[in-house]
Order: sequence, then structure tokens, then C-alpha cells
Amino acid sequence: MGETRTYVAPEPIGAAAFRYFSQAVGDDNPLYYDEDFARAAGYASVIAPPTLVCETNQYAGVPPNEFGYAGHDWGIHIDGTRLLRGGNSYEFFEPVKPSDVLTVTWKIVDVSERTSSSGSPLLIINSEAEYHNQDGHLLVRNQETLIIQPVGKAT
Amino acid sequence: MSVDWQSIGEIGTPIPALQRRIDQAAMVAYAGATWDWHRIHYDIEFAKSLGFSAPIVDGQVFGALMAECLQDWLGPQVWVRKLSFRFKTPVVAGATVRCEGETSQARDGEFDVDLRVVTVDDEGNVTTTAAVGEATVVRR
Repeated sequence: MGETRTYVAPEPIGAAAFRYFSQAVGDDNPLYYDEDFARAAGYASVIAPPTLVCETNQYAGVPPNEFGYAGHDWGIHIDGTRLLRGGNSYEFFEPVKPSDVLTVTWKIVDVSERTSSSGSPLLIINSEAEYHNQDGHLLVRNQETLIIQPVGKAT
Repeated sequence: MSVDWQSIGEIGTPIPALQRRIDQAAMVAYAGATWDWHRIHYDIEFAKSLGFSAPIVDGQVFGALMAECLQDWLGPQVWVRKLSFRFKTPVVAGATVRCEGETSQARDGEFDVDLRVVTVDDEGNVTTTAAVGEATVVRR
């Protein structure tokens, strides 16, 4: 509880990251790749697809773990369990620009135990990340719920 | 694109649905685009060892779909201010998903939307609920 981790991206996030994400999702909104369209809409440049910044591990700079995952992780390992994400709650304060260099601070807000509808024990971790740019502007806040559950209860 | 702000302020106005098949290639593309190379999204044997029938779609794809659905509907003069979603049923590679929803509350210059991402069969019938959520959108 109260534990925090801070990551500083080694470089600006870059317009290519926006285009890659929107193409991968299948979102053809020109706000994310067409500079002229974005300016005509009143933005200074193309902007990031809103959920990209919360989703990417680009800023983290950590090596892949045994599962191939290379992002922020609290290092919680309990034998016979797996970690699932329960959901996210995003607040978008400012558009993310290609020139933004992210500083991302994660903290654990709350840890609790629950029992699933099928009767198995669950550990619930509520965490929060704030994404600032190099000018200190808060761009996005991301509250994430993690669920640790015993293996073998999958659908 | 222009939207009649008055009409969408009416509670229960449906938003245009967005339907998409998420195949393994799309999942690999998303994993690359987000620097998330977790095996659960592409390694069949690994997914089976965890009790799933196939690799699992990264749930945050559904958040991206919800944002896309709203932004496509409302156009670039509207800003998605908040977006929350909770996962209900894991979705495996090859599923077709549909994002749908309706307005739930209106205030001055902003309104709330309830959203769902469901899986559908070939006839478009809902088979499972992947995620439920809500959003607040504002005029820029």
C-alpha cells in the first residue's frame, strides 16, 4: 500500500506510435495521423488515440518477464494463481502530442480480498497511474483494477 | 461530421454500433503497437495451460473500441473526458465484437454514455458480454 513506481520515457512518444496503434486497432480517425486534419480541428498537431498512452509499455524501458510482458508490474507472484486485469478508469485531461516525453507514476491505492461468484478467493489490487509530459502537465490518469485468482477457474 | 447536440442529450439515444472481428493477426499488431508481448495474447499452448481455449484478446482493445465508437459518432469537436470499463468474459482470438451503447445523462455542455462490448455470432446475435463501461464526453 502506498508503494509507487516512476518511469521516465527515454524519448518523445512520436507520431509513428499513434499511427501504429490506430492501424492495429482498425481506427481510421485522421486526428491520429493526418497533421492537416488535426490542425483544422484546432489541435496543434496530430494527437494520440485516447487510450494509447494508458496501454503502451513504450515508456517503461523494462525487459520482458517470463511471460513476455515488458511493462509496469508490481512484482507480485503467488504460486497457483494468475493475474488478470479487472478494468480501467481513464480521465483524459489534455491530448497527448508526438513531442510529449512521458513521466508515469504508478501507485497502489488499495488491496482487498473478495470471494468470486463461484466461491474462489480473489485478491483485488487497485492502482493508479498519472501521465505527465515534460512541461509538468497532467495528461491522463488511469485507475486500474488487478485481480489475482487461482488457476483453473477459466471459462 | 456534425452532431445534433440537442438530440443526443436525450437519455437513451443509441450510439452507432461498431463491429469488428479480432483475429490473431490483429492481436499481434495490438501487442506490438502497445509494447505488450505477453504470451497470453498469441501463444496457444500458454493460453491452454491457463485454461483458455485460445489466446486472449487484450481487454484494453475494448477500451480503444469504445473511444473509437464515441469519437466516430461525435466528430473531432468532442473530447472524451472520462472512460471506464470492466471486463466480464474473456474473449478469444477470432471473435467478432460489437461496441454499442446509449446516452444516460446530460448536463450543460457534456453528457454520459453507457457502453458495452459484446461478442456476436455470424447472425449478429449476442453471445457474451466482454466489457461494460461508461464515458463522459464534452464539447471542446
